[in-house]
Amino acid sequence: MKIGVFICHCGSNIAATVDVLKVVESAKSMPEVVYAVNSMYTCSEPGQQAIEEAIKERGLTGVVVASCTPRMHEPTFRRTVERAGLNRYMFEMANIREHVSWVGKDKAANTAKAVDLVRMAVEKLRLDKVLIPKFIPATRKVLVIGGGVAGIQAALDCAEGGMDVVMVESEPSIGGKMSKLDKTFPTVDCSSCVLGPRMVDVAQNERIELHAYSEIASISGYVGNFDVTIRKKATYVDWDKCTGCGLCTEKCPSKKSYDRFNEGMGETTAINIPFPQAIPKKATITAASCRLLSGGKCGVCAKICTSQAVDYTQKDREITVKVGAVVAATGYDLMDWTVYGEYGAGRYPDVITSLQYERLLSASGPTGGHIRRPSDGREPKEVVFIQCVGSRDPSVGRPYCSGFCCMYTAKQAILTKDHIPDSRSYVFYMDIRSPGKGYDEFTRRAQEEYKAQYIRGRVSTVYPKGDKLVVKGVDTLVGEQVELEADLVVLAVGGEASQNAPKLAEKLRISYDGYGFFMEGHPKLKPVETNTAGVYLAGSCQGLKDIPSSVAQGSAAAAKVLGLLSKDKLESDPQTAGVDVKRCVGCRKCINVCPFGAIREVDMRGQIKAEVIEAVCQGCGLCTATCPQGAVQLSHFTDNQVLAEVEALCQS
Amino acid sequence: MAIHEQLKKIILDTLPGVECVIGWGPGQDALHGSPVFMRKPEDVDSFMDTPLGAFGAVNNLALFLPELSGKKVGVVVKGCDSRSIVQLVAEKLIKREEVVIIGFPCEGAADLTKIEKALPEGREAGEVTGAAIVGETLKLSLGSEEISLGLADIKADKCTRCKTPGAVISDAFAGIAGKAPEVRDEYADLAALEAMSLDERFKFWEREMSRCIRCYACRNACPLCVCRDHCVAGSRSPHWITQTDSTRDKLMFQIIHATHLAGRCTGCGECQRACPAGIPVLLLKRTFNRGVAEIFGYDAGMDTEATPPLLTFQVEEAHIKEREWQ
Amino acid sequence: MPELTENTKELRIVGFLCNWCSYGGADTAGVGRFIQPTDLRIIRLPCSGRVNPLFIIKALMSGADGVLVSGCHPRDCHYAEGNFYARRRLEVFKHLLPVLGIDRRRFEYTWVSASEGPRWQKVVTDFTAQIHALGPAKFFADAPELDFLKAGEGVMQP
Repeated sequence: MKIGVFICHCGSNIAATVDVLKVVESAKSMPEVVYAVNSMYTCSEPGQQAIEEAIKERGLTGVVVASCTPRMHEPTFRRTVERAGLNRYMFEMANIREHVSWVGKDKAANTAKAVDLVRMAVEKLRLDKVLIPKFIPATRKVLVIGGGVAGIQAALDCAEGGMDVVMVESEPSIGGKMSKLDKTFPTVDCSSCVLGPRMVDVAQNERIELHAYSEIASISGYVGNFDVTIRKKATYVDWDKCTGCGLCTEKCPSKKSYDRFNEGMGETTAINIPFPQAIPKKATITAASCRLLSGGKCGVCAKICTSQAVDYTQKDREITVKVGAVVAATGYDLMDWTVYGEYGAGRYPDVITSLQYERLLSASGPTGGHIRRPSDGREPKEVVFIQCVGSRDPSVGRPYCSGFCCMYTAKQAILTKDHIPDSRSYVFYMDIRSPGKGYDEFTRRAQEEYKAQYIRGRVSTVYPKGDKLVVKGVDTLVGEQVELEADLVVLAVGGEASQNAPKLAEKLRISYDGYGFFMEGHPKLKPVETNTAGVYLAGSCQGLKDIPSSVAQGSAAAAKVLGLLSKDKLESDPQTAGVDVKRCVGCRKCINVCPFGAIREVDMRGQIKAEVIEAVCQGCGLCTATCPQGAVQLSHFTDNQVLAEVEALCQS
Repeated sequence: MAIHEQLKKIILDTLPGVECVIGWGPGQDALHGSPVFMRKPEDVDSFMDTPLGAFGAVNNLALFLPELSGKKVGVVVKGCDSRSIVQLVAEKLIKREEVVIIGFPCEGAADLTKIEKALPEGREAGEVTGAAIVGETLKLSLGSEEISLGLADIKADKCTRCKTPGAVISDAFAGIAGKAPEVRDEYADLAALEAMSLDERFKFWEREMSRCIRCYACRNACPLCVCRDHCVAGSRSPHWITQTDSTRDKLMFQIIHATHLAGRCTGCGECQRACPAGIPVLLLKRTFNRGVAEIFGYDAGMDTEATPPLLTFQVEEAHIKEREWQ
Repeated sequence: MPELTENTKELRIVGFLCNWCSYGGADTAGVGRFIQPTDLRIIRLPCSGRVNPLFIIKALMSGADGVLVSGCHPRDCHYAEGNFYARRRLEVFKHLLPVLGIDRRRFEYTWVSASEGPRWQKVVTDFTAQIHALGPAKFFADAPELDFLKAGEGVMQP
């Protein structure tokens, strides 16, 4: 091998604390190094050109660049060597900036360390092999999991781009949290007027296949080739026949069913259509509330239905689809506010959540848009909003800011005044967080125009007194205790990852954080990608966000999907594990530990052997560390390469 | 009927349905036995036909099972041997239905090294002309000389901490399995090493490993070593150890073997028994066995359904306090 | 945070870092100019799950005075599960060192995320101080000077 070593000054970033010329001199005596030179800015155009020229003129077969972190410029320099005709994997980097010049003051020690890192890179390069990407065919269809506003956006954008879409929604209707909102901030637009037409678009788009009241049973396969099993939960109504006329919901005698859509602010019938704008607009029977399905006698809905759609014998069924990419847009749940016993959460009927309040404000809600206290139906005059319930509170395991509560509380204070002009609103807050276009102005309007009284401080307790609720708190700006008598207390409950998010993450083989939010590929540069190729994120499943951000992420995820599947064949990263079949003894340990199911068992002339599915392998190397005889080796990080690096460091 | 005779009857009954039954038979001298592969009824005559009988049944015959996988075979096991089979089944290295396990109530097996040491100065095992077990003693004749050794003194160390004198799993059992004794492995052997200073331990291994002749008898005797012909000891890719005759490389191999057995080793001790240089190689494996028991409460070879602890994980580990450092 | 004097002779410390979290954390520390002792040299691996515990002993037996492994925090693994396996393997492996006569403090493993520059600085500083407190490690001699006849209790075969 003929190795060229390029040591970067990075202006003075490296040269100030590393003797670059000394490193060059040391590199010249390293094994198989035929050329070593310094470079002012290796990543600059002349810097890259110098590498290309050296490769051509000196016949280099491998290149080491000692400069910044490979996390920054490894792709850059790989392209450089490839332009000069080398395989892009015949390249190694030594990180002498982030790991040397920027963290050590002693120039002699830094220089010695830089030499070691270059030697290590040279030793690793000597064992590098030419790697050639493979091309795998891809299914040009995308699965969108979740039919909230983020999922809807992703689905519509994908369909617009000519992609077939399969959308899976766990509730009987798409629309997500946004469909429950009355108005949206900061424009006070009607939420369903904004979202409704988009939902209709989903239903009408020929490219979108919608499976509501369904969930993901399992996913296997890999980028370009996922096999998805969707479980369609029993609705006891044949949706092909149901016209959504709603006659059954009027006649159903079981009227005490929990109203999920209205957050329990009202009751509904056992057979119901969640809300007038539901998509699909089809009836579903809640088995637990249905008199007939829970063992009694009834059958009213079946009798009344003009299209004979009711089918009490329906069972869950599974269908399978093949897709090339997946967008997870599973949204969020409200955190369990009943842990706040001091606020009487869950005990006093007039202490409600912000989302329940949205249903009271909504014209399609249980009160027809008139604000009525759940306890006695009276119109409240004094309304207290408590912010950060389940946000920024490490004591309940929710140290993060939910991000949208400051804004919706301001909106709800404004709407309260709109609905009840002689009402007064009080908002207990910690800080007002309103960094968005028109957001801070909006919170000001709530205070200045709508006279919502903002009190900076926490509430210590809420207790009933007669038909009122006493709210005791502190005003930290004045430094005094505050005691208010409220008719209604609205808790700005923070969000948390969906209950089922970790389970889905396991199926998708994507990472999730300690709260259950899905992990993006890179916090800055890969905000909608995940570490599993072909799986993307949109909306609050990745971290709580408001509607504009969710929509933006939905579009971003769609752009990624369209980009990925714009070709019929996908290039796979060749830095994968491979099995030396001669050495494999078929003990299956690698198969057991692979987090991606990327290793399968094959029968080779009667002997069991492991085989890596290259397109699935993500290159973690867990198998290599597991295989006792070292038959599975991760390309570019082989045992011999790591051992050579260890030797280079320890023997020096 | 003596256990020995009962076992023979079971083997004869088993033979028609299997390729062979593996048991113990006579060996090079009065003390040593060797494995026998019984295929025909007449082969059964030699089973345990040795002066030491069951006490001389030292080999762990589970060793041969992975190689015979695909064929149905019978195997006679001590309790400790059965643990190796359990582990092989748990790791799906052999199929349970391909093995007919024949157990018996083991009262301990001999440690031939201990017997040889007990011989008069200058005498070797090969000079023993006759042996017989009488009650709790082993009577040996070396020509005209007669010596008696207490069985307890020449039993293998592992027998003193045995908690499975009967087979963990078996298809046939000779006699009646006694109640498993309440034994706790106190790791006295490790404690003795740990009584030394770190420096002394370092020197201990330098000294012990300097005797290693790299014959790999330890590995070849290990029933759970799956790599067999593909051991990293002899490979260049990966190249874990060099072929130089250095103490470092010899020790490195022992560490590799122990690491590969971490969470899998049943402590059968065949590695140490096989070592011609008498190096206490089992100690390293027992270090991991103790660690694995401490952290995961796991004892290899007790449950065919268990997953070896290093091939699985818990998101929250009850007994790993890795955050205590930093 | 313990400080090292500038004149302390460098010891050899090998770090095995996962690419996604800890290597990134070390980069973040660099970007933030969080000054650290210079003894540590980092080997970049995709995941802490790639760390074969045998790398650690190989380094210690080849002349390293200390070995540090750092990966993503549990649950944050780029590959979802790699660090969970690593945690078990490394924890078990720790038990071996003292039996070999190697101080167990010569090896530590920890978790540092890509954003934890200050934490990386502290980890490196503390671990380097820990190794300096232990001093240079002993080296397994290739051909130990031993009185062969006294060697061990074992039996030499002819």
